[in-house]
Amino acid sequence: MNNEKKIPSLSRRNFMQTAITAIGGVIASGFGIPGVGYIISPALLKRDKKWILLGSIGNIPINTPTLFKARVEQKTGWVTDYKEYAVYVITSDGKNYRALSNVCTHLGCHVRWIEDLQTFYCPCHNAVFDIDGQVLQGPPPRPLDEVVIKIEDEEIFMLGG
Amino acid sequence: MSNIRTWLDERAGWKAIWESIFLRKIPKVNWLYTLGSASLLVVLNQGITGILLTIYYVPSPDHAWASVNYITNELAFGGFIRGMHHWGSSLMVILVLCHMVRVYIMGAFKYPREITWVSGVFLLLLTLGFGFTGYLLPWDQKAYWATTVGTRIAEVTPLIGSFLLKVMRGGEELSALTLTRFFGVHVWVLPSILLIFLGIHLYLVIRNGISAPPKRGK
Repeated sequence: MNNEKKIPSLSRRNFMQTAITAIGGVIASGFGIPGVGYIISPALLKRDKKWILLGSIGNIPINTPTLFKARVEQKTGWVTDYKEYAVYVITSDGKNYRALSNVCTHLGCHVRWIEDLQTFYCPCHNAVFDIDGQVLQGPPPRPLDEVVIKIEDEEIFMLGG
Repeated sequence: MSNIRTWLDERAGWKAIWESIFLRKIPKVNWLYTLGSASLLVVLNQGITGILLTIYYVPSPDHAWASVNYITNELAFGGFIRGMHHWGSSLMVILVLCHMVRVYIMGAFKYPREITWVSGVFLLLLTLGFGFTGYLLPWDQKAYWATTVGTRIAEVTPLIGSFLLKVMRGGEELSALTLTRFFGVHVWVLPSILLIFLGIHLYLVIRNGISAPPKRGK
């Protein structure tokens, strides 16, 4: 009993307050940690990349970006849906091919190839790219993204997921 | 730290509120007197886990079960969050009933605490309403048939029975309309009313103080 009087920080009242705070903290983290995990876990899911068939290379004109579209089945949450890919395949010699994503590097709208002007155009903020995807005009911070492709038996595939 | 507290207290007067809520004097009582606080804790649990469940749950016949299944089996901590809500609902009914029995046996509903009692009765009915509407939401066989039966019980009401059944179901049959209205009642209507009655109940508990256990000869 004498010891207690000498150490006022260990009074009954302080002890109870500390204990209640500690238990409250345990309960709060019991909700907080699972709650945060529950909210962010779908956002952290990684999808496997795979080769996606775009089409035949037979009819791609020289120096004319040609739009290929592919639909891939994709499960998000409990819904199985389709994800659409659209890439411009470009060749200058009919032997070597490269592909550019049609997603504008500014804020994600879709660019389209304007044949008359020989440029890619994004209607959202008037961005203009040349045939190599380099920014000619407007706000995009970097050139159009290059898409990894491969050609097998005259068929063109892109890497996506 | 104490500077911030003083600064806030001068402007918001929170110390007086804090003291009247947490540092108020109470008579010497036993553990049975914690049933109300326990009910409040479970209400908090239901609120937190319920809000979390609405992040993924879809109240539509073609998605309800699948979204609940996704929460339970695929999401990180989803089974835990749903389990807390599921078991919490049963625990809430049990605790609220025990709380009521304690108040009744101790005679704690008498003057000046009649309004506390009456608001408590409404809180009990709200708790049962939460249980009834929440039971349908997983949209599985058990939910579907339990609500079929539950709404049929309401149909037995004299004179307005069949009207009551149709209002509860949103038509003759259990349908998408039943599911959406049960959801709306469960997450918006009942919580709003609960907050009102909980506010009245807690205010009165603090204002009147809790009653001391009755003693022999008094």
